[in-house]
Amino acid sequence: MSKKTDTPEDLATLSAEEYKGWSNYHPSDEDNYNQRNQPVRPLLEVKDLSVDFTDANGKPIHAVHKAGFTMYPGQWVAIVGESGSGKSTTAMSILNLLPGTGHITGGSIKLDGEELVGKSQKDYDKLRGRRIGLVPQDPMSNLNPVWRIGTQVEESLKANHMDIAREKRNEFSKALEHAEVRLRNADDELFIGHQDWDDLIRTTLEALASAHVPDVKKVMHHLRHSWVIGSTTRWSVAQDLIVAGLDDDTAWRVAKQHVTGSDMKDRVAGLLDEAGLPDAATRARQYPYEFSGGMRQRALIAIGLAARPDLLIADEPTSALDVTVQKRILDHLQGLTDSLGTSVLFITHDLGLAAERAQYIVVMYHGHVVESGPSLEVLQHPEHPYTKRLVKAAPSLASQRMISAYQHGDANADRFIEHHQRSSEEVAKSKNIITVEHLTKLFNLPHKKEKFKAVDDVSFSIKRGTTLAIVGESGSGKSTVANMVLHLLKPDKGKVIYEGKDTSTFDKKQMLDFRRHVQPVFQNPYGSLDPMYSIYRSIAEPLEIHKIGDNKSRLARVKELLDMVELPESVMNRHPNELSGGQRQRIAIARAMALNPDVIIADEAVSALDVLVQDEVLRLLNDLQAQRGLSYLFITHDLAVVRQIADDVVVMEHGQLVERGTTDEIFEHPQKQYTKDLLDAIPGGKLKLGLDL
Amino acid sequence: MTSAQTSAQPASQLYPGQERFVAPANEVKLEAVDSVDEDAPALGMWQSAWRVLRKNPLFIVSGILIIFILFVALFPSVFTHVDPRYCNLSNSLRNPSAGHPFGFDQQGCDIYSRVIWGTRTSVSIGISTTIFVTLFGGLIGAVAGFFGGWVDTLLSRITDIFYGIPFLLGAIVLLQMFTDVDSIWKLVATMTLFGWTEMARITRSAVLEAKNLEFNTASTALGSSPARNLFRHVLPNSLAPMIVIATLSLGQYIVSEASLDFLGVGLGGNTVSWGVDISNAQTLIRTNPMVLFYPSLALAITVLAFIMMGDAVKDALDPTGRTA
Amino acid sequence: MGKYFWHRVLQAIPVVIGTTFIIYALVFLLPGDPVKAMFRGKAANPAVEAQIRSQYNLDKPFIVQYLLFLWNALHLDFGMTFSQQSVIDTIGRAFPVTIKLALMAFVFEAVFGILLGILAGLHKGTWYDGVILVLSLLLISVPTFVTGYLLQYFVGVKWGLLPVTASAAATFNDLLMPAMVLGSVSMASIIRLSRSEIDTNKTADYVRTARAKGMSNYSVTVRHILRNSMIPVVTYLGQDIGALMGGAMITERIFNIQGVGNLTYQAILRGEAPLVVSVVTILVLIFVVCNLLVDLLYAALDPRIRY
Repeated sequence: MSKKTDTPEDLATLSAEEYKGWSNYHPSDEDNYNQRNQPVRPLLEVKDLSVDFTDANGKPIHAVHKAGFTMYPGQWVAIVGESGSGKSTTAMSILNLLPGTGHITGGSIKLDGEELVGKSQKDYDKLRGRRIGLVPQDPMSNLNPVWRIGTQVEESLKANHMDIAREKRNEFSKALEHAEVRLRNADDELFIGHQDWDDLIRTTLEALASAHVPDVKKVMHHLRHSWVIGSTTRWSVAQDLIVAGLDDDTAWRVAKQHVTGSDMKDRVAGLLDEAGLPDAATRARQYPYEFSGGMRQRALIAIGLAARPDLLIADEPTSALDVTVQKRILDHLQGLTDSLGTSVLFITHDLGLAAERAQYIVVMYHGHVVESGPSLEVLQHPEHPYTKRLVKAAPSLASQRMISAYQHGDANADRFIEHHQRSSEEVAKSKNIITVEHLTKLFNLPHKKEKFKAVDDVSFSIKRGTTLAIVGESGSGKSTVANMVLHLLKPDKGKVIYEGKDTSTFDKKQMLDFRRHVQPVFQNPYGSLDPMYSIYRSIAEPLEIHKIGDNKSRLARVKELLDMVELPESVMNRHPNELSGGQRQRIAIARAMALNPDVIIADEAVSALDVLVQDEVLRLLNDLQAQRGLSYLFITHDLAVVRQIADDVVVMEHGQLVERGTTDEIFEHPQKQYTKDLLDAIPGGKLKLGLDL
Repeated sequence: MTSAQTSAQPASQLYPGQERFVAPANEVKLEAVDSVDEDAPALGMWQSAWRVLRKNPLFIVSGILIIFILFVALFPSVFTHVDPRYCNLSNSLRNPSAGHPFGFDQQGCDIYSRVIWGTRTSVSIGISTTIFVTLFGGLIGAVAGFFGGWVDTLLSRITDIFYGIPFLLGAIVLLQMFTDVDSIWKLVATMTLFGWTEMARITRSAVLEAKNLEFNTASTALGSSPARNLFRHVLPNSLAPMIVIATLSLGQYIVSEASLDFLGVGLGGNTVSWGVDISNAQTLIRTNPMVLFYPSLALAITVLAFIMMGDAVKDALDPTGRTA
Repeated sequence: MGKYFWHRVLQAIPVVIGTTFIIYALVFLLPGDPVKAMFRGKAANPAVEAQIRSQYNLDKPFIVQYLLFLWNALHLDFGMTFSQQSVIDTIGRAFPVTIKLALMAFVFEAVFGILLGILAGLHKGTWYDGVILVLSLLLISVPTFVTGYLLQYFVGVKWGLLPVTASAAATFNDLLMPAMVLGSVSMASIIRLSRSEIDTNKTADYVRTARAKGMSNYSVTVRHILRNSMIPVVTYLGQDIGALMGGAMITERIFNIQGVGNLTYQAILRGEAPLVVSVVTILVLIFVVCNLLVDLLYAALDPRIRY
């Protein structure tokens, strides 16, 4: 692994390819890197950092306890841990932006050898933005809704007195480029301005033509697209022209004459373009509410990098986004930070992501750093019991279908299926418990005449006693399908067939019976239980609606159900706000199980949970299936989870069914490009973690 | 694991400070995943609100005041035996004396007795108006929010129209027609008519929010009917902002009643009311300010108590400030 | 923005019709008889009564009455007062004074309310935050007319700092104290509102992002915390214009200001319902227009609304 063998001393002996693999420097450095040989000193050193919060009674709560790690220029370092592990708190204390009562109680944070702890607010103002940038977690709340996107990028430039006409190289990238320094003077870093564009293109075209460069049209097309106002420098323009076939003198003459520097608007658009926002100049004039989550995240990346910091702190920068969007944004961020020489400290709960993107990893648990080291090494050979536990629970594409301890093989499965609720008139059981035929759902769009096809002609069946997963990204229509199967939404076309009967023909009584057998578990563990209801009332609600049993038998049933989902009886008198997300999800499962259903429709039921909790809930669902022969329709965006729990998979995109097959078929031989892209985008998908577990 | 540092790779291959580090296993105790703290007391939303409330000095002070005020309103005869309607012009503006601690007003009525008996009028008008506003405004808002569609559009437009009439102006127009009626109910009816819009708006948005929560969908999937959802889930979950608004506006209704008395469209001379007394005493401010002072003080303390209570309730029930 | 503007203007039309209709119907449709009310229970001369009824179109069906009223109101024709003066002229004389008073009160409550609210909100938990909070609670609890009399007694009578009552000219000095009294309750509400808004926005994620950009505390406070906190305050100020109109009735009476409030009060005393209806109708129209303006200002402040 070249990733691990790099040390400052080794840098000089590495080949260009190896070096690139470690970190992508500015392309122009490739032939110069081995001339530099200076020692690298740590960019950030955190030692024995302790952070306390104060609770309502004035008692201290230790959020971070003697945490420490070191990072070097140009590195990506990941802090991983569950919610509440202190990973975000550690990161925010570097910026001195702790929320509420949080305060540093001890330890040291050194940036480039300079102690930060104890610095004044004014000193931090100078530090923030310019030396340390931030890409925050939630794209929805981190942009001020009342200012234009461009204005918010502009603030970052103005606050740090950035020269908007020129690129700023940080110390590290300057050091890397020291060979060039003599060639490049400050004016070589000027950006293309909007006033330059027409002349630049025209002159370039003339110069290329007079130099008899072949295929001028194609070259021009390429240049037009790679040059960006407010982002491409005079130096890069010259280099591009030389590559295109002009001699050095002509190239530099054109560049010097027609790249004269950008103004604020150009620069803002340039920064947004760098962050991967198309049509940036127009976008800069829009407001956050006109942006999707992914676009907002790109704007936040532009803001974080605007003042060219040496260190970028990225707090779960992409966890709210779809995997394919996440991959695009992270690839882009990596390219950017590599070319600028920026180090990235990123906080994540996703081990795959850490393994894939970071050279160094810090694992936190209960405010302590329990393990740290080169990321692949730590994740492949975890040593601390907590890291081992975490790695073991992390779903990955390499994992296998969970096998329940209760499973007795397919032949015996029927024995466990409970059918005492079903009417006796039912004859031979069909193979498929639920079949969906040509489901279509249209929605009205605000301010538009044409309807939006949320679900377009989708058909599939769930085999009795198995799990079918519907996978797709946000907007794929997967939840709409679930709601139609549950009869919470009426399909515009198509039908849902349950036990061989078309559910649309059901009368009131039959519908009530259907509801008894087909139960949902929803995504949001905070929304799916009524906060006013005690846990007992929540679980007993289905019994009450269907008028089953008296108070005494209901109490017994609730106790039985709590035992089934492995929660103590004492939670009965509690309310949802007193339980964790995972516990609430167990309660939701208990409620769904109250009526002995045949089918459970789980809509992103584990997506909001931490890895370890998610693993436990998945195991619970799997055990219940094995014990009771339940059939699951599992709606999720997470392919790694699908790998663990599903027997069959349906892939959806833009309301349409893209591909379907058994889990093995889909994962090992995906047929459609979209499925391949999805599989590709899973962070660390190809890496095998926890080799010796 | 005993050593704090175990490295799978020779240290020379790593940057200084980035060697493999493993914390001693006994340093942090590994807890069971997602365990339930069985010792913690069970608390529902109302219980936790109560715990916040009872620690709030604002709540304690206002609570004691309100209990006292309610007691005075219910049992005024405990505090005075003097008939507030017994007025003798020969006592006009007489100074305090034994049994008449606040003295007499211009008509020769006992001020202390009138302040005590006036409590009942103010408090009953405040409470009745609040109840009617909550019922009427709450119903309109709940129906609009829950059913949506054209029902919502219609009810919201009606709310907009009533909202377009300033409270005091509307009340004056209506009440000037009934100056010869001397009953607290004309005030209650008028203030309800022009005061329900805020309650309707708050309830509507609270119901809209509660309606879209997943537990309603979950109940529907269990076989629950829309009506059952409305009464069992949506309304109970919309109560908090309604209670906050109701408590905060109770004091405002008491002030409004006094203002309407002051403008001559409120209660007549036969009802013992702080507003009427303040209105009557206005000409005496330069000569006998205390005649004005006592009923004003009683009014201010009552209103202050209810507003402080509203603030405390708001802090406990609506920490996010939805009701501003 | 243009689309939003016209949308809001169109929305205001049913409100105008609805509010005027309600006011008119309250007086002329309810069991209480406005003409009888004029005579205050005394026996009336049937001929005079009939004449009044025809003068105010009360002999016609109700809906016709209302439409005639609305039509005339559009032409600013509100008929004659009992003393046979043109209603619109009478109102016209009183209006400038009230507008001056309301404007002064508005500026007073907005400036001091926002300033004190910002002071308290930015420094929550300090002693002056406590003082400001107690002051605002007191102002809300004590009715305007009590505050008015107290101020009049101390500032006017005892210390002689400002005129006790307003002269007919209603100068700035005359109206200063009344305006402070009129604005006091709303000022207290604005203090409370801006204080809690600022307190909430202080911890908003986008404020943290702004700090992370390296912006100075001053810029962050002005551009992010205050800018966003003012949105609900502006809405409140818009609604408050209605409260100012009602409050003006009380204040004008205390300080004997010859404005619309006093005119209405006198009309009520005389039982002159048509005059009351005319004045209130005009005030409601002004209120609706002000609300419209505030809504547009609100849209300018908050881009999310314009959609």
